[in-house]
Formats: sequence, C-alpha cells, structure tokens
Amino acid sequence: MIPVQLASFFTAAALILIGIIGVFFIDNLIKKVIALSFISDGVNLFLVTLGYKPGGIVYIYMPGMSSSWFAQNASYPLPFALVLTSIVIGASTLAVMLAIIIILYHRHGSLSSKILED
Amino acid sequence: MKSLIALMVILPILCGLLLNLLHKKDKTIKILALTVAIILPIIPLIASYGAYYFGGYPPIAENPTIAKYLPAYITGSYLVKFHPAITYIFTSAQRIFIFILGIIAFFAIFTSLNEVKKPSGVYSFLMFMATAAVTAILLTDDMFNLYVFFEIATISQAGIILSSNIKGSYKMALRYLFLGGVAAPMLLLGVALLLGVIGNVNISDMVFAMRNGLIGQGNPIFLTAAGLIIFGWLYGSGLPPFHTIKSGLYSKALPHAASLIQAFSVFTLAALGIIILRLFYYIPVVRWAIIIFSIAGMALGISMAIMQTDFKRLIGFLAVGELGYIGIGLGLGTTMSITVGLFQAVNEVLVTACLFLGFGTILYQTGISEIDKLGGLLRYRPGVAGLMILAGFIMAGIPPFNVFQSKLMLIESAISAGFPELAIIMILLSIVTFMTFMKAYYSIYLKPEPRGLEVKAERIPSSTIFSMIILLVICTILGILPQLATSQFGSIIHGLL
Repeated sequence: MIPVQLASFFTAAALILIGIIGVFFIDNLIKKVIALSFISDGVNLFLVTLGYKPGGIVYIYMPGMSSSWFAQNASYPLPFALVLTSIVIGASTLAVMLAIIIILYHRHGSLSSKILED
Repeated sequence: MKSLIALMVILPILCGLLLNLLHKKDKTIKILALTVAIILPIIPLIASYGAYYFGGYPPIAENPTIAKYLPAYITGSYLVKFHPAITYIFTSAQRIFIFILGIIAFFAIFTSLNEVKKPSGVYSFLMFMATAAVTAILLTDDMFNLYVFFEIATISQAGIILSSNIKGSYKMALRYLFLGGVAAPMLLLGVALLLGVIGNVNISDMVFAMRNGLIGQGNPIFLTAAGLIIFGWLYGSGLPPFHTIKSGLYSKALPHAASLIQAFSVFTLAALGIIILRLFYYIPVVRWAIIIFSIAGMALGISMAIMQTDFKRLIGFLAVGELGYIGIGLGLGTTMSITVGLFQAVNEVLVTACLFLGFGTILYQTGISEIDKLGGLLRYRPGVAGLMILAGFIMAGIPPFNVFQSKLMLIESAISAGFPELAIIMILLSIVTFMTFMKAYYSIYLKPEPRGLEVKAERIPSSTIFSMIILLVICTILGILPQLATSQFGSIIHGLL
C-alpha cells in the first residue's frame, strides 16, 4: 500500500500539472478558472501533506494530556495555518475573476478566451 | 516608536476599509484620503529602526526571562534563535523605499481626488490597499506573509485597472489575474518547499539554517524552491515573460494609477530580489538567472517600446526596460552593484511616475494616446512640454540627474565585477531609450499639428503639474547628492554578502 503522505504528494503534483495544462490549453474562461483552482488546491494539498504525521493528533491541547505526549504526537500546525489563509486568498481571487468573466460574457456573448485578445 | 513600523501597513488598510464604507460621502472621502496620504510618507521618517513582532513574541534568545527556564537541550540549540511570530524589519533601506512609495501614493491619490468632483471611495480603497501590500512586502521577514501581501497587491492592482473605465481594462485585468493565478501558487509552492526543508517560514531563520549548515545548499529541493520563487519574482516585477502583460497593465490604468502601479512593480522587484539574494546568494546559478532575465527585460522592453504607436504602451515598455538595470545590479552581487541597483530602483520609481503623470497631461488636452494622431502640443503648454523633456532626459541618464548617477555607477560596478559586456549593453540600451523617447516627444510636441486635432490645454489639473515639479526636484537633489540614498542601503547589504 502506498503511504498516505506519498500518495498525497503525487495527488498534489497531479493537480498542479492538470491545472497548468488547463490554464494554457483550454479555451473556455470558466474552465480556465477551474484549472487555476486546481493549481492552488494542489499547492494547498502539498502544504497539508507537509504537516501530516502518521498516527498523529490534531494540534489542540486538551485537558488531561501530558505536555510531553502532546509534543510527541501532535502534527505540525504551521502548514495548516498557512493553508487556511491561502484558501481565503484563493477564494477571493477566483471570485474577482468570475465577476469579470460574467461582465465580459454580457458584453461579448462568449466564454471563449479569444475575447481577451486585443 | 517601534509600533509605527506596524502602523505603516495598518494605517492604509484601515483608511482603505473606511473609505470603502464611506463611498458616496464625497467630502469625508477627500479629507480622510488626503490626510492619510500626507501621513504615509511621514511615518517612515519618524519611526525607529528595529524589528516588530506581531503577537509580541521575539525570538526566545532575546527574552532572557523565558530563556532562563528552558531545558539545556533547547537553549544550547539553534531553536532559541527562531522567530515564533510574524516579523517586520525596518532599517534605513526600508525607510527610503517606504518614504518614496508614500510620496508616489500621495501624488497619485492627490491627483485622483483633484480630477473628479465625486471621488470614489472604492477606488481610493484599492490604491491604499495596494500601497499597504507593497509596504508589507518591503517590511516583512516572513515568506508566507510576503505571499499573502503579494496576492493582495495583485488583486488591488487588478481592481485599480477595472476602475479606470478605459476600453479593454476588464480584459487586461482578467489576463493579469490569470497569470497571477499561476505565478502566486508557484511562489507559495516555493515557500512550501522551503518550509518542508527548514521547518519555518521566517526568512532570517531560513538564512540562519542555511549558513550554519543545517541544510545543504546544493539540495535539489532548495534549487527547485529558488526557481519557483524567481518565477513569482518575475511576475511581480514584470520582467520577461511577463513584460507584455505589465506594460499592458500600465496602459489600461489612469495616468496617476499607472505611476503608482509602476512603483509597486519596482519595489516588489527590489524587495523580492533582496530576499532571493539573502536565501540563495551562494548559488551562482540563481544570480545568473537574475542577470539573464534582467538583460532580457531590458532588451525586450526597449525594443518593443520602439515599435509602439500608443504613448502609454511606449512608456510602459520603457519602464519594463529600465527594470533590467535594477536586476543587473542585484545579480552582479557585489556590495557596490547591489547598492546601485537599489538606488536605481528609487530613481526609476520617481522618474517613471513623473513620465506617466506627464503623459496624462496629453490625455487631458486631447483625449488621444496614439502618437501618429498628435502633434504641435508645444505651443499650448510649453511649461509642461519642458517638464516632459526634462523627465525624458532623466530617464535616459543625462547628467547631472539621479538616473545618470545610478547608471554610471552600475556601469562602473559591472566593469569592476569583470563584466564589461554588461556595461556595453547598458550604455547601448540607454542610448536607444533616449532615441525612442525623443522620437515620441518630437511626434507629440514638435511636429506640425495635424488637422482636426482638438486641444483643450486648460484641462490640465494644477495638481498634476505640481506633482511633476516635486518629483523632478527630488530627482535633481538625488542627482547632485546621490549619497543621500546610497548611504541608506548599507544596512540591508550588511549580512547579505
């Protein structure tokens, strides 16, 4: 069986690659946005995987836990904190892009990326 | 006074949010925006140098009370030096950068508020947010914080373009966001790789870990991270392959906004460039990559400027071409070249802002940006034409102005670093820049006026002329006394090499 962490790294790489191919080779603007979200999701998955600890626990100190046991078993919290922020930023960027696409669709009646050419 | 370091970022964000809420309350917006715009360049002048820790957690080594109770295996390790909080570092180099950014932001906001009777709170909000983001990029010592503000700067710049209402601005903003949607995650992936190797995102900690042999400098993951961060740097600064989109962005912005956006590009180039040097200085291929992309930026920017028939795009490409000089200074990697590269960054921001504002005066008079359709504007406002030719001379590197000083010092540092070829390229491209500018100047101001050209010279706002004069005065002062700027960069270069 492939270890979870390794499988996650491969999935993240696949998401990033599919996203990059989609952004540059798909004509439809909405699909391009979806491809962009693939890239950012791939990077987020990579970050989450970095913080993964086999058999580890969530980094929340609960009553009754000894501090040394907690330190040995808790997963690394920094990547998760980064991913949270990254998701928020990614969502706002996608929202702006989709809003512009809606306006361009109303103006040009098309979702083809050819409308972006001068 | 160290809390003023945080205020440099927090104040424009707060002001921007308030302006957004106050949309349509015209008088309040004008007073608030102008007041904060005046304060922005003053804060870096009165703030104390040092580090500001968000959350109030300095490294354990700096807090003897905590350090005293730590087990010996921690106090004896490098862990006590690690930064547990987001850190902003303010030195004399940041002081001059943020001061100049504040001045450009003030002129942009001042001019925008003077142009319209009903100022847009949302538009001012975007300008303040972008200014705050670039200030944070200049101050931060945390790679993830840098990524966050990199994204905020991208969205804010796209928003500024969307607000310009110029034909094609929506398409340009979307294209810029699409490319940003690829470049920013690549930057984040680079940060993630460094996090995986080092275990922290604080830049000083990363540098400490590297220089103390905690990780090998030839580590392939480390090299991949360098490549990804350089990719983000190219996007943020507008060097190839992003030179076309960046110059397009300038051309779709209103003149005052273009002057501000180019300042964002230059300061992002300088700030990220310094971080790349801090992290990867000992990898020669990284410095070569910086030099190669910078030469490509100079050559492509200036050669594409020659072909332009729209003066806004022409200045946009010239601005991209000038970025290459900064990159060469950083890439050469000597104390003198880095100092001069940073000096060139300050100079370029000032003179390009002046040129964008100056070309705005042509739009006010005629509403036309195609060079072929213009001519004979000299007789309407000879004073403005004089300011324009002066700005063009400065950009080309005519003595005794600031760009002459920085370009001369760059040529000297290239020769002393053993690269006379680079010096020759820089001289040749400076000549081409001058010729390109003069050709456009002749077509707009000196050539006979075309029939049917409608000119309304009284439309030029006095705020634009005032801003241009002040910028040119600063350029002249820095030309006569370059040490005012160059002496400020020692703090950032100390410890870098």
